Amino acid sequence: MRPARARWSGSVGKHLVLILTSVLVAYPFYFMLNTSLKSFFEATTVPPTFFPTEGLRLDNYAEAWSKAPWPRYFANTLLVAGANTLGELVTAVLAAYAFARMQFRGKNVLFALFLATYMMPGEATLIPNFVMMSKAPPGTNPLFPIPRLNLYDTYWAQILPFLASAFSVFLLRQQFLAVPQELHDAARIDGAGHVRFLWSIVLPISVPALVTVAIISFYGSWNAFQWPLIVTSNPDIRPIQVGLNAFRAEAGSSYHLLMAAAAFCVAPIVLLYLVGQRYLVQGVARTGIRG
Amino acid sequence: MRKLSMLAVTALIFAACAGGAPATSQGPTSTEADIDITGPVSITLWHALTSDPQKGALEAAVKKFNDTNGKGITVTAVVQGNYTQLYQKTLGAIQAGALPELAHAYESFVADYTKADVVVDLDAYVNSKKNGLDKAQQDDIYKPYFDTNRFAQYGNKLLSFPFTKSLFVMYQNDDVLKQAGVSAPKSWADFEQAVMKTTVKDASGKTTRYGWAQPLDASNFNAWVLSMGGGLMAPDGKTVAWDGKEGLTTLQLMDRLWKGGYAYTPTGFDWQNDFANSKLAFTMGSTSSRPFIAAAAKTPFSWTIGAPPQTDPTKARTVMYGANVAIFKSTPQKQLASWLFVKWFSEKEQTADWATKSYYMTVRKSAADDSALKSYWSSKDPQGKQAFDVIASSIPEPNVRGQQEIRDVIFDMLQKVTTGKATPEQAIKDGGAKANQILKENQ
Amino acid sequence: MSVRVIPIGERRELASRRRAAVENVSAYLFLLPAVVFITVFKILPALYAIYISFFKWDIIQGPFRGLANYSDVLWADETRASRFWQSLSTTFTYLVITIPLEMGFALIVAYVLFQKLRGRAIYRTLYYLPYVTSTVAAAAVFNWIYHPQYGTLNQLIGLFGIGPQRWLEEPDGVFTMIASSIGATLPAWSAGPSLALVSVAGFSIWHFLGFQILIFLGGLGNIPAEYYEAAKLDGAGNRLLFTRITLPLLSPQIFFVFTIACIGVLRAFNEFFVLTNGGPLDTTRTVSLLVFRTFFQQGQIGYGSALGVILTLIILAFTLLQFRVLERRVHYG
Repeated sequence: MRPARARWSGSVGKHLVLILTSVLVAYPFYFMLNTSLKSFFEATTVPPTFFPTEGLRLDNYAEAWSKAPWPRYFANTLLVAGANTLGELVTAVLAAYAFARMQFRGKNVLFALFLATYMMPGEATLIPNFVMMSKAPPGTNPLFPIPRLNLYDTYWAQILPFLASAFSVFLLRQQFLAVPQELHDAARIDGAGHVRFLWSIVLPISVPALVTVAIISFYGSWNAFQWPLIVTSNPDIRPIQVGLNAFRAEAGSSYHLLMAAAAFCVAPIVLLYLVGQRYLVQGVARTGIRG
Repeated sequence: MRKLSMLAVTALIFAACAGGAPATSQGPTSTEADIDITGPVSITLWHALTSDPQKGALEAAVKKFNDTNGKGITVTAVVQGNYTQLYQKTLGAIQAGALPELAHAYESFVADYTKADVVVDLDAYVNSKKNGLDKAQQDDIYKPYFDTNRFAQYGNKLLSFPFTKSLFVMYQNDDVLKQAGVSAPKSWADFEQAVMKTTVKDASGKTTRYGWAQPLDASNFNAWVLSMGGGLMAPDGKTVAWDGKEGLTTLQLMDRLWKGGYAYTPTGFDWQNDFANSKLAFTMGSTSSRPFIAAAAKTPFSWTIGAPPQTDPTKARTVMYGANVAIFKSTPQKQLASWLFVKWFSEKEQTADWATKSYYMTVRKSAADDSALKSYWSSKDPQGKQAFDVIASSIPEPNVRGQQEIRDVIFDMLQKVTTGKATPEQAIKDGGAKANQILKENQ
Repeated sequence: MSVRVIPIGERRELASRRRAAVENVSAYLFLLPAVVFITVFKILPALYAIYISFFKWDIIQGPFRGLANYSDVLWADETRASRFWQSLSTTFTYLVITIPLEMGFALIVAYVLFQKLRGRAIYRTLYYLPYVTSTVAAAAVFNWIYHPQYGTLNQLIGLFGIGPQRWLEEPDGVFTMIASSIGATLPAWSAGPSLALVSVAGFSIWHFLGFQILIFLGGLGNIPAEYYEAAKLDGAGNRLLFTRITLPLLSPQIFFVFTIACIGVLRAFNEFFVLTNGGPLDTTRTVSLLVFRTFFQQGQIGYGSALGVILTLIILAFTLLQFRVLERRVHYG
């Protein structure tokens, strides 16, 4: 849809809006990179300079990298995000398929259950989940009234609560519902059960949706902060965002190092985004259009 | 043996649940402290030293202990962020049942941790014939450092041990003072004058160089109240005493200087940069800021450390800073291993070495005679010696339950006055009332 | 010996019943993993939260208190109650500041962007970038931008002759500040949100802009071009096109974004934690932060759980209200 020959001033106005917005959006990124390439003294000069004047201090990155166990943080995050993504995919695929293509008793009740958890905000469940992850105080029952899993400060504590997501189930259910019934009938005639149908037919044609779910899940895990903050303490188990938060205190007034750290924490996801944005955009649009 | 303590701990927890009365801890009996290390032991120390040189110095000390203790004890030092984050993490760990063996802690933290009865009573270890400190050694440690770790609410037990001690001092930039023709102030009246004289304002009245930058903190306030001759707590420990005339005088002084544009509250640690580059005449804080100030200087400058301004300069008083270390209940082997590390750390050789590397104070008097420390002070760190000389005037802050929360009340009070949201009179009255309420709840 | 011959119809029915039973079991097996995790980590904890909120529970579980935690937090305990209501007021003030600005801005940009066919993908990619950046990293950068001394924002407003501000550390209300700059004074109650809260809102707007633009773009794409053509033939100007065609037909997306944005704002945690941690003078302490602080900094999980349950109920009630009041105004094309 294109309006008929826009007036010249209207066109300029539109460009202005877009460019102004672009500047606003990009500026924090620019300032982050800008500061990360300055020396400590230049970063703390007033007024701030728009461009590093003492050459580009790439060694800030090396220094920031050496001041905290970043390789470990990244490894931890990759492990947790990978496990989460895989787990979430598996549980969501199975559940979505059941809702979309199987008949069973209690289907509506179970669907309502999933819907309820989707609407359930995290605030209420933060504390009880924490208590569940902790160890029962000596002399109290580890199962009643609240089961204690004694998983505080482990990878499991970061993985288990996120292995099922109602949102992913809904997304995939939409996708599986759209598979033509003829394909299902044909498979049944060939003697294929649900498992074979799912594996050989439904999944291959649903790859974009699966990728969307995977990316959204991965991104959520990578950026997770509040939960790992309370459930990890050893730097060996800590993921990136918690590490970055800790680094804010560790860097003190070395803002040039903090910005460098922020930059290399943000870079992988930005790269992933640029590569996979097609799927991300589709996924979001898909949830939006139905209102 | 272990079963018995488990039972005892369980009984105490139930008792605590039922009555809400403070759980007095049944510390290890003398037999527990007098055992030997029987095999390799691994312990973890949580601390809040987030940057070098302090972080590196601690890690070096830990490594030295691991290499030389000869008993198979391995200590791992884990940094948990700043003190507030460390406090939160430790509280969380108590709830999660996942405490480390020992942790860096302020007295106010320990008072709260002991509510859950997880802290080891160190008297048995200090007095142990086999593993403790003899009388001469105990006397060698500064008495105030010991006293601050005794908790009146818990039967005067020694629940933590001095670790990274420092004190509250005033920093003055001598270059700026000289340039403004101001002599070093010793009394509060002189100080106020000095701040005003070293402030530079432009033609329109806007301040281009402040005389005083002061980060707001409850400990600063406590130090000022003490330096004016006031007290912090009533003798019975049931109400605060800092809401009296000294507290009011302090707030009024701050009100005048902030409103007048002579002083301001800096963001984070940026006051270190300003001070080091002669954009400030005065600041006050912990002696352990010395290395950061030195590192922030673009060109060398001349500065001195001393006691904060006093109402009575002959009876100088300031607040003791720095944290201690608390040992948490675990197994007798781990508790002993933790104690042995703490003891080693406080020995003359270690504490003198620690002072030179970390810029904290030594915990022993005899360490001041250590030749390496002396030469370090005279050649590299004259401010260190100046700081050391103030130790005798340092007084510990209250260590009652609820003190952590009271610190927040004091901080709010300071912020309200310096941002003009409340008059000093309102703020002190409000603050005192809130603090007394907290004390009451924690009886 | 009699052999009952099963008529073919009945045989088919038996077979299909068996198939149905097998399918039932298969379905339950397929659902089992998801249901287990959802029950254990979402449903049960919700119930536990209510359970915990009935007890005095500091570090260890204490005595049963019934609804006393709730009454303390809502009115009985003066300190706690004033803290709660102040946090609630802060949260809703934040909602009122952020949502209209966010959505208005996103709508305008989406509308403009939609009409521009060239380079649209590039702009879209750029605008969405803040949304994929982790809030911790982004907030750390904004802390730096908002820095009272070394920050670039003060430098920028200096170009317009405005003095440096303290942004995230300024507890004064914005209305008071504007009034005092023209020499007027306002009564205390009209001070308005603190500059710190407005600064956090600035971050939020930056962060969510791309997400909202994307959804609006999707919605705009659904509006059939014929409507516009027809209206233009009737002589409608741009403004009428926007108000009579675009807005109504975009209303499903507007409603969706509004609902999601409100929920997001009411729950917001990361940015508040990193940018201000509730300060200065508690002017940015939202209910979400209050829950966290009660739980994690004071170790009082009985009260913390009660607050969490209250927050959940508020969000649910608010969302239901939105559905009741607004949804009937939504035009579904």
